[in-house]
Amino acid sequence: MTEKRLRIALAGNANVGKSVIFNQLTGLHQHIGNWPGKTVEKAEGTLHFRGYTIDVIDLPGIYSLSTFSLEELISREYIAAEKPDLVINVVDASALERNLFFTLQLIELEAPLIMALNQIDMAEKKGIKIDHKKLEEVLGIPVVPTIAVRGKGIYELLNKAIETIEKGVPRANVIKYGVEIEERIEKLIEELKGAQLKYPVRWVAIKLLEGDEQVEREIRKISPRALKLAEKLASEIERIHGHPCPTVITSERYEAAGRIAREVQRVLPGIKPLISERIHDLTTHKILGYPIMVLVVLGALQAIFTFGGFTSEILGTLLYSYKPLFESILGLGPLKVIVWGGLMEGLIANITIALPYLIPFYLILYILEDSGYLARAAFLMDTIMHKIGLHGKAFIPIMLGYGCNVPACLGCRIMETERERLLTGFVVTLIPCAARTAVILGLVGSFLGIQWALALYIINLAIVFILGRIAFKMLPGEPTALIMEMPDYKIPHAKTVLKQTWFRLWEFLKISFPLIIASSTIIKLIEMLGFLDSISKALSPITVWWLGLPEITGVILIFGVLRKELTLIMLASLLGTTDFQSILTPLQMFIFALVVMLYIPCVATIAACVREFGWRRALVIALVEILFAILAGGIIYRLMAAFNMLSG
Amino acid sequence: MVEVPLTDLREGETGIITSIKAGFGHGKRWGLLKRLVDMGLTPGTKVTMVKSAPLNGPVEIYVRGYRLALGRGMAKRITVEVQR
Repeated sequence: MTEKRLRIALAGNANVGKSVIFNQLTGLHQHIGNWPGKTVEKAEGTLHFRGYTIDVIDLPGIYSLSTFSLEELISREYIAAEKPDLVINVVDASALERNLFFTLQLIELEAPLIMALNQIDMAEKKGIKIDHKKLEEVLGIPVVPTIAVRGKGIYELLNKAIETIEKGVPRANVIKYGVEIEERIEKLIEELKGAQLKYPVRWVAIKLLEGDEQVEREIRKISPRALKLAEKLASEIERIHGHPCPTVITSERYEAAGRIAREVQRVLPGIKPLISERIHDLTTHKILGYPIMVLVVLGALQAIFTFGGFTSEILGTLLYSYKPLFESILGLGPLKVIVWGGLMEGLIANITIALPYLIPFYLILYILEDSGYLARAAFLMDTIMHKIGLHGKAFIPIMLGYGCNVPACLGCRIMETERERLLTGFVVTLIPCAARTAVILGLVGSFLGIQWALALYIINLAIVFILGRIAFKMLPGEPTALIMEMPDYKIPHAKTVLKQTWFRLWEFLKISFPLIIASSTIIKLIEMLGFLDSISKALSPITVWWLGLPEITGVILIFGVLRKELTLIMLASLLGTTDFQSILTPLQMFIFALVVMLYIPCVATIAACVREFGWRRALVIALVEILFAILAGGIIYRLMAAFNMLSG
Repeated sequence: MVEVPLTDLREGETGIITSIKAGFGHGKRWGLLKRLVDMGLTPGTKVTMVKSAPLNGPVEIYVRGYRLALGRGMAKRITVEVQR
């Protein structure tokens, strides 16, 4: 007998423990990818239960089903068009009202629904007690209380899910709006009668009154008359209430959510402030918040680099110890050069970077995120981020960028709109990552002094601000603003953090492994065929005349596209010494480091950009940065030469 | 009762939202306003000012049982009624 297949989707607000429930349900049988054609993450997993094979889809964490963000659009598309067998609405019991607002929308979308009333322990600590039986009654859907982080209620939830599907999902209780709105919804339903809709008709009617752009677009094709009618009815409601119609409808929905919340929950006053509250106060403190943030970021970087440097060296030594073995098998001919120099060196590069640096990097990142600290950092950084047309949340990918641009690019997804994502992505690729830091410190820092390395960082910040601002002015769209929930601090859930780390690492390897190996092989081939010199010659007008660098740097800059720290290694091997000051003037070192810092994101970052923003935009970003680096390098070179800086 | 922008609330003070200025042109382009009401900032809602970040930074408010960070530019568009 073949197993019966079911599809269950998890839906809910952000920070409600949805991904913990997802992990509890699916264990290691997960697949994380993208929604087709979208840059929104799609997490799927499979589990077997009572003779069923169940596909679980973790929908993005959202607060509404409007069209403000891609996530919201994708979620409602999925629920309405793909019609999963069941939707589990994960709800944070400690913020019931806002969560119910979302539940009510799921009900309006006629999703087959049950509720996981999660984090009841945290709610109780806040003095909130919820009568889940009553909630079940009021909403007309099954409700299962859970404490996902401790695995409590997960089995019951799954049981209830299957039971509900087997018995047939009950019809949930739909909320009624005010008479003047209900009348108009009725009129619209009447008008829409007979039309082929992919959504429930009442939902379409409500969305038309709410001025939902996507629904309007679809209805325009089917029934332009309904659209006209909706506009007329909406303006009538606006006249009656004195607020825009969408606001009126959302208000009433929230009132309903509030009413239900008050009906089913009891709030005990006089609970003493929790430790999490005190940490919150401290970490968002007007003055203390900032030094704490600096300490957290520096501490994280310190931990990553200490662990990374140490492990990277051990791994490197270990892997390079196989070189003689390769040589004995392949000889010293061209085959060895390609296999070792291309394939293996590429592989080693990946292993020595990816594992030692990225693992602690992601671990710390997810601990900070899961605990709630990143939201506080975003709060503190909002003012500064506004200067480049972004808001506080952009601080998170930018901070990531100092570690590695690849996860930073992928991290731009936390921004809400397409425009903010692109803008943040552009800024992020300008941030000096760990590899670029190695060049800056190894060349400028150790030969010219730390103050010149610092100068490069300051120049970089200035450039980020200037280019960010220009990009912000050039990209059309709405202004952005921070609208962000600050969830209560909590102890991160170890399994979820580990799993997230693992999947991010895997994602990184999938992007970078093939690329780095392929491109390092190609470059080795070019080298073997003896084209390196001619490339350097061809580039000499730029490198020698405009930037004042030695001719050999042309080739190095090409190689640097692979991995930026390679530029320093190559510089040493091609010049035949690590005592750079004997061959390069101080000014040349400075300009070289500056150009390396800016000139192009590395291959892996470009690949990440392609994934997130498409070929065209990734190419534009890369080209803009090449041109800009050359331009800036030449100008700064001339300025510094004119003022006799770094000449002695 | 006075009407002030949300940003004028003192820390710990509670007001009731009376209106939100959309102001991003007319008709359809109003994503941010929609987002605000979706987060529960509808007319008639009680909001408490928890904290205001320095240097024109965002504000932290308590609304409908949770903590929300709002950019200052956004918060200024929200008018609240407060007992003083």
